[in-house]
Amino acid sequence: MDYNPSLPEDNHNITHTHPLKEFIILLVGVLGIFVLAYFVLGLLVDNAVNHISPEIEAKLFNHTAFSWTTIGTDDTDPRLQKLQQLTDSLRKCADIDAQITVHIADFDEINAVAMPGGHIVVFDGLLDKIKTENGISFILAHELGHFKNRDHLRGLGRGIVLTAMAAALTGPDSGLTRLVTPTFQLGQAQYSQGRESLADKTGLHSLHCYYGHVGGATEFFKNILKEPKDGIPLSHYFASHPQMIQRIADIKEMAEAENWGSNSSVPLTF
Amino acid sequence: MDQIIIVVILLALGYFFGTWAEKKHYQSILQREKELIHLPTTTSKKPIGTLPPVKESKLVSGSVVISVDYFKRMLAGLRNIFGGQVSSYETLVDRARREAILRMKESCPDATQLINVRIETSSIAKGAKNQIGSVEVLAYGTAIYCQAE
Repeated sequence: MDYNPSLPEDNHNITHTHPLKEFIILLVGVLGIFVLAYFVLGLLVDNAVNHISPEIEAKLFNHTAFSWTTIGTDDTDPRLQKLQQLTDSLRKCADIDAQITVHIADFDEINAVAMPGGHIVVFDGLLDKIKTENGISFILAHELGHFKNRDHLRGLGRGIVLTAMAAALTGPDSGLTRLVTPTFQLGQAQYSQGRESLADKTGLHSLHCYYGHVGGATEFFKNILKEPKDGIPLSHYFASHPQMIQRIADIKEMAEAENWGSNSSVPLTF
Repeated sequence: MDQIIIVVILLALGYFFGTWAEKKHYQSILQREKELIHLPTTTSKKPIGTLPPVKESKLVSGSVVISVDYFKRMLAGLRNIFGGQVSSYETLVDRARREAILRMKESCPDATQLINVRIETSSIAKGAKNQIGSVEVLAYGTAIYCQAE
């Protein structure tokens, strides 16, 4: 047997598909499946939330050994009494029977959140920005709107679905999860924007019911707009609160449609 | 948002540098394979053809460690979900095997023949979450030197 040196003309050991093409096909496939699964599970969450009454909610969440002091709430804050009093009055306007407790958290963040179990946490940073009673009442009414629309439970349920799906994909902290999850968060943000608008509407209704006018409803957004802008330009797509200008416009539009006047606001005194 | 930007940058870096490195490596492999084609390299236990008496034989080896880029790893991760050929790793293993054989041949350029060649492949680094990061290929065989006719 003689040795005839020659090299193969073609490499048969590798696939000649373009890697980018393969990547896009697979990524679209994964995203498609997960978007569909998220959509279906999201609908199931919405459906389940409709069956959880405030009484069941209170039983579910108030039995947990969660201490509000761990997140920096101060239940001896002198401002608390006023906020609780406003919440109780607005709660009647919003037609919510369950008890809602207000907490003040010592954070600079300008925000307030509705928590499962009938709790509203107002951050210190927000109280610094608001100068009128009507302004803070609208924020509280907005959060009560979330309770009325069961958004806090929807948010929690969807959050659990999202985390579970991310973990199921390839583990909680892999590169693939980092690539895919922000896409869902975008969907989540858009969903939340819808819920925020709805809470604004419910809140405005309660504000009018309590004061007889809707003055001060846009105070918070207007104050925020005066703040210097930071962050990357794309970030507003991810903000779960619709852009402030849009929210102000929506609130005005709704007040006009309902023929609700805007009288002067009462200064906020504690 | 920040996370997705980081991942996209890593993917782009992985893709462009990975593709560039792979192209350069294949060019080098093809050129060196042509240069070393005169050295018969076989898996047979006995030399091929009729040879003059053997004066010397040596154990020779060549090994290489090559890593995949971020893009290929991500592609393989996606492929793991659906199954099928992990084509992004095929070029990695192909290059590593050919490079190992070339290095082995380069270690004995004056040999008459290289016989009984074997190739061992192993994943050298199992990174976080058991994602295989790089591959090691070891090629070894017997170089025989014949007496001059």
